[in-house]
Amino acid sequence: MKYIKKDLGSYNLHIIKTDKFKSVTVQVSFRAAIVKEEITMRNVLSDLLLLSCKKYPTKREVALKSQDLYASQVMVEDLRLGNYLNTNFYLNTLNDKYTEEGNLEEGIKFLSELINHPNVENNCFNSEALEIIKRQAQASLERVKEDPANYSLIRLLENMDRNSPLSYRPMGYIEDLEKIDASNLYVYYKNMLKTNMMDIFILGDVDESEAERIIVEAFQSNTYKKIRKPYRLEDKKPHAKPVVIKEMEKHLLQAKMSIGCRAYDLTESERNYALTLYSIILGMGGDSKLFQNIREEYSAAYYINATPNKLDNILIIRAGITKENFKKVVRLVEGELQAMRKGKFTEEDIKKAKELFQTSMEELEEHPSRIINAYYMMEILGADDINTRRKKMNAVTSEEIISVAKKVKIDTIYCLEGE
Amino acid sequence: MEKIPLKGLDATLYKETLENGFSIYMIPFKNKNNYTQTYATRYGSDTIEFTMSNKKARITPTGIAHFLEHKMFEQEDGKDPFTFYGESGTDANAATDHQYTKYICSGTKNFKENFRFLLRYVNAPYFTDENVKKEQGIIEEELNMYTDIPEFVLEVKVRENIYQKHPRRIDVGGTVEDIKKITKEDLYDCYNTFYQPNNMFALLVGNFEPEEALQIAKEEMASRKNKTTARPTIKDYKEPVEVNKKEETVSMNIKVPKVLFAVKLSRKNFPIKDKHMLNLYLQLITSVLFGSSSLFKEYARNEGLMSGMYHEWEQVDDIVTLIFQIDTKKPVELLKELKKTLSSIEISEDDMNRYKKVWIANEVRMIDYVDATTDNVFSDIITYNEPVTDRISLIRAMNKKELDKIVQHINLENTAEILVLPKEDEN
Repeated sequence: MKYIKKDLGSYNLHIIKTDKFKSVTVQVSFRAAIVKEEITMRNVLSDLLLLSCKKYPTKREVALKSQDLYASQVMVEDLRLGNYLNTNFYLNTLNDKYTEEGNLEEGIKFLSELINHPNVENNCFNSEALEIIKRQAQASLERVKEDPANYSLIRLLENMDRNSPLSYRPMGYIEDLEKIDASNLYVYYKNMLKTNMMDIFILGDVDESEAERIIVEAFQSNTYKKIRKPYRLEDKKPHAKPVVIKEMEKHLLQAKMSIGCRAYDLTESERNYALTLYSIILGMGGDSKLFQNIREEYSAAYYINATPNKLDNILIIRAGITKENFKKVVRLVEGELQAMRKGKFTEEDIKKAKELFQTSMEELEEHPSRIINAYYMMEILGADDINTRRKKMNAVTSEEIISVAKKVKIDTIYCLEGE
Repeated sequence: MEKIPLKGLDATLYKETLENGFSIYMIPFKNKNNYTQTYATRYGSDTIEFTMSNKKARITPTGIAHFLEHKMFEQEDGKDPFTFYGESGTDANAATDHQYTKYICSGTKNFKENFRFLLRYVNAPYFTDENVKKEQGIIEEELNMYTDIPEFVLEVKVRENIYQKHPRRIDVGGTVEDIKKITKEDLYDCYNTFYQPNNMFALLVGNFEPEEALQIAKEEMASRKNKTTARPTIKDYKEPVEVNKKEETVSMNIKVPKVLFAVKLSRKNFPIKDKHMLNLYLQLITSVLFGSSSLFKEYARNEGLMSGMYHEWEQVDDIVTLIFQIDTKKPVELLKELKKTLSSIEISEDDMNRYKKVWIANEVRMIDYVDATTDNVFSDIITYNEPVTDRISLIRAMNKKELDKIVQHINLENTAEILVLPKEDEN
């Protein structure tokens, strides 16, 4: 794998050359400091851009074009990265070797048509197209409670810190949806192109100069953008005593518990390395402390796991339980966190956690979008490269994990339960 | 060992069947870091009535296949599978469906040790009254979890209305009442009948040496005798083409109404006998009619007829069913349009050729991914008994004449529709 980064002024072009895949993946990323009221708008915009464009004015024509390009896939994803709202557009298309000469160039032009030449007249997006997307968004916003596990997580985060981006719903809000029209959305779109930080990645068996030529022709932007806000959320102390919140959802049979922990005052190295191993030992996979002790030993949860979020300085524990077991599960989870602080894990546990991490790094190399993501995190967060990460992770000691364990404390406990 | 090139995909399938009937399928890749190992039995939730080799007929409680999947992770002695795999950072998992139960591990290291362990732990059942009782509680919770998700409930509900007799109408996990009845004897009986070499196979994909893997399979499997020499006879339900319930309205804990619509057809009426070829044509028809570039989708989008749509073909013995699950605020109009589309099917040569190109491209793309290749080949083995090694040629061979013949046999004589409305108290 060969990596080349080119600063093209208004965006960075990252070329990742590898012959591992028969397809080529392109990612175009936009990001800006997150504003709560803009989340819904950003989601609508992303979907709208992929629905149609000037050249392919209906979704059907867009779909026909992507099929014609040997089933090229075009996708978009909006996600919050700490203090930032980030949008990734993706194109995946077969290498010219397996199709015909010019297929990749056509694919990239197609992606550019969608992003840069939308279906716009008189400074307004096509209103029929917008209606289609708004209707879809409305339906999916209305359905948010239909996935109770996810709804429980959303409510936990809303209760942990009402003023922080942590509490923002990634899918947006119905009241914001109502405010979107063809004109204000277009203003927002122009602003995104002008002010958002932008990165373009191309991964595959491509000729570097040819790839650069195609990208530069397809994506012409001449604004200069500067970063203002740190990516990581502000470090916050946990509540002195955990806040407990229970909400009812009439017909729910299995209660969904979400426990929000603050990982407070971590050093950079603890956050990037020891926290990962801590989380694996505590709650990732069938061999973790939470799973083995709370599910297997006490049968107190159907599923239970822990996931860290480095950018948000938190760790979330999620469990599906019988609601009568709520207190018992809280007590058991507290017990497991305490045991971690006391160093009640073995060298074998650490070794296994390290192995799991190494495996995930090796598997990462089999997925184009995950490779791109690793380079993207290096770009925006100054994260270590894959090989450095593997080396540093292997050097983590049990003392460092205990040090992290002492800084992870329960802040808020949320439970969604039936009647 | 047989070596069959996967045409057009730069990959080779290795295949060997041992004397006891156990088959191993392998697709090695030199340029990958990772691998998957699957050890599976052709036994799933559909099998609840069968005749054993001693001619004894059995009707078991529902949910045994899934129950066994849970219990295989418990070992009498030796290491717990999660602990064992954890040591090499390998992911272990299992899944039960209507026609199979599979045990999977995926990772990057310890290929040989992991494969040997996979075969060993699935070959070593350990059921006690006590551990069966404990599992009943865990499974009940799992079933409750699915009961909270409308899509899952409706997947079962629609099959209940489609099938009159076939156990496909029952949830893969079984019913809570049945789970409570399951004994360790039931588990051993089903294990001894269906977890036998002649009913099982292994599928390995990714970075490994086929010769070494075969050697391990031989060491672990060759000496295993089939407890029943003849495969058990599974009951033939003679599922009629008529649906169980034509129309129903239910209310659920949802916000946006849903429509479920199923078309039940008899496979015997189709002019193509080859199951795979027939499936390709059927999928082509629904891709053109309801795929991303379809006129139906375009119309439904413009008219605001739906916000989400999912469809699949299902084959159960001699019955072929097309099932839709759609989120819609205008269920009546949506159903009307859906039926209209299905009763006047027109597919042009261009449409067909476009999808052939799409499918061939997708086959080529898929082979880059160990997981996707595993899923694809696994599904072939379950559906067609063997991996399909020349799918690209089969796709190329599809033609308009055959397609038109098949289209003629799609009719709406036997359909089931369910209208799902939000519960009153939710509004």
